[in-house]
Amino acid sequence: MNEAMVHHLHLRRGDVGRYVLLPGDPGRCEMIASYFDDARLIASNREYTTYTGTLLGEPVSVTSTGIGCPSTAIAMEELIAVGADTFIRVGTSGGMQPEHDPGDLAIVTGAIRDEGTTLHYMPIEFPAVADIAVVAALRQAAQRVGATAHLGISQSKDSFYGQHQPERMPVAQHLIDRWKAWRMGGAICSEMEASAIFVLGSIYRKRTGGVMLIAANQERHEAVRTVVTDLHGVIATAVEALKILIVQDRTQGK
Amino acid sequence: MQEAHTKQHHLDVGVGDVGRYVLLPGDPGRSEIIAAYFDNPVLVAHKREYKTYTGTLLGEKVTVTSTGIGCPSTAIAVEELIAVGADTFIRVGTSGGMQPHCHTGDVAILTSAIRDEGTTLHYMPAEFPAVADLDVVLALRTGAQRAGVPAHEGVSQSKDSFYGEVEPHRMPVDGRLLQRWKAWVAGGAICSEMEASTIFVLSSIYRKRAGGVMLIHGEDMGDPELSDADRAAKEALFDVHRAIQTAVEALKVLITQDRVDGRIS
Repeated sequence: MNEAMVHHLHLRRGDVGRYVLLPGDPGRCEMIASYFDDARLIASNREYTTYTGTLLGEPVSVTSTGIGCPSTAIAMEELIAVGADTFIRVGTSGGMQPEHDPGDLAIVTGAIRDEGTTLHYMPIEFPAVADIAVVAALRQAAQRVGATAHLGISQSKDSFYGQHQPERMPVAQHLIDRWKAWRMGGAICSEMEASAIFVLGSIYRKRTGGVMLIAANQERHEAVRTVVTDLHGVIATAVEALKILIVQDRTQGK
Repeated sequence: MQEAHTKQHHLDVGVGDVGRYVLLPGDPGRSEIIAAYFDNPVLVAHKREYKTYTGTLLGEKVTVTSTGIGCPSTAIAVEELIAVGADTFIRVGTSGGMQPHCHTGDVAILTSAIRDEGTTLHYMPAEFPAVADLDVVLALRTGAQRAGVPAHEGVSQSKDSFYGEVEPHRMPVDGRLLQRWKAWVAGGAICSEMEASTIFVLSSIYRKRAGGVMLIHGEDMGDPELSDADRAAKEALFDVHRAIQTAVEALKVLITQDRVDGRIS
């Protein structure tokens, strides 16, 4: 059984570490892998690219999920099947609170399940929540990296253009009303995968978290809207958080 | 605008009557028991199911207010406590264990809650997570260590129907109740109670800090092999003081941290 290759990710047990970073874009995997020691390309199939290397001598991996919860759920299922147990989503997002600057980081504590995938797993009332140890590691990591970070809830949505251009959608008012509710609830960023990672993490008793670059903020006044594309801070924070978790796990005999 | 001298409609408290830090039991009968852990506690209001005492911990003003059972009365309590200046909430009470490793007498530290109730839909669509504040969760973890109580961190089920949980078979919607319970257990929910989701959702909306610690009545009590002596020993561990001590220690941790961070002058 152990030799079996999983259907979509083309991985076998032993190909990945326990600790996995999850960007959306397969094109970002190589850049993220460059933060590992001895990184090598393991597999690339469809939108799923995987590199494995080490941090502090411990095997670690990066696997892209593709955009959206459907492909992300597949990535989580298959990574768990080959032995991964700690996941940090890393990528870009849109800011949702006017006081947050593009370039700040969002450390995701919970996610709005504004998507269809996790309903195939759990009734809607169940919270999509990150692991406390991963969240605390990300907060400490951001301090070490010197990044400005905010803790809070992300919106995990199915429709990118429904967020960016809601007015042209047939369900425009529904989208606009809900966006307002999420903002009033304190949601800090909008992205497309975290809720699936968190809900599957709860079901399979794995640790999950996420750190997102606030690349732009549509809630800012036009004059102070900028777009930040430098991913170094968000990747460095995720990598530093993995090191914190690796050290903690060794201390606790995990 | 809230006049300083006006009392809140249901809680009968005004500005100055409560501290920033509030413990939230369900049962008004527990307010006095919890207040006994404070220095110089004073009964400041008692109306309907809402019983409020204020005292101090480490010299800082702290309060306990009962919420009554369920999210409808809890939402009113949180609204009115925020209106008179509270900003940090810890739910404390009892719950039913939902995992085999959650034993009677352990405590559940809530990281988030299943919104299995009707109240929070009057505030937010169902997709929004009911999530506790990280600093409150970490303070409760330290609080449980200081109190010497075994603790589990995880998701609670906040439900509207007590008897729908404990006697689902006699309900007209029994199939649905049983299927959903199975899903919550599969998702890793650790305990079942009736108020946490509302405290968490309202705290997100109003940018306040919230958490919860629940004493567990575990599945181990239903073990048919259990001897009378073992059953009595487990019942002795089902002592709400274990959760109260954890919550009080957590408040002390938060008060100390807030002073260091300059959040208290």
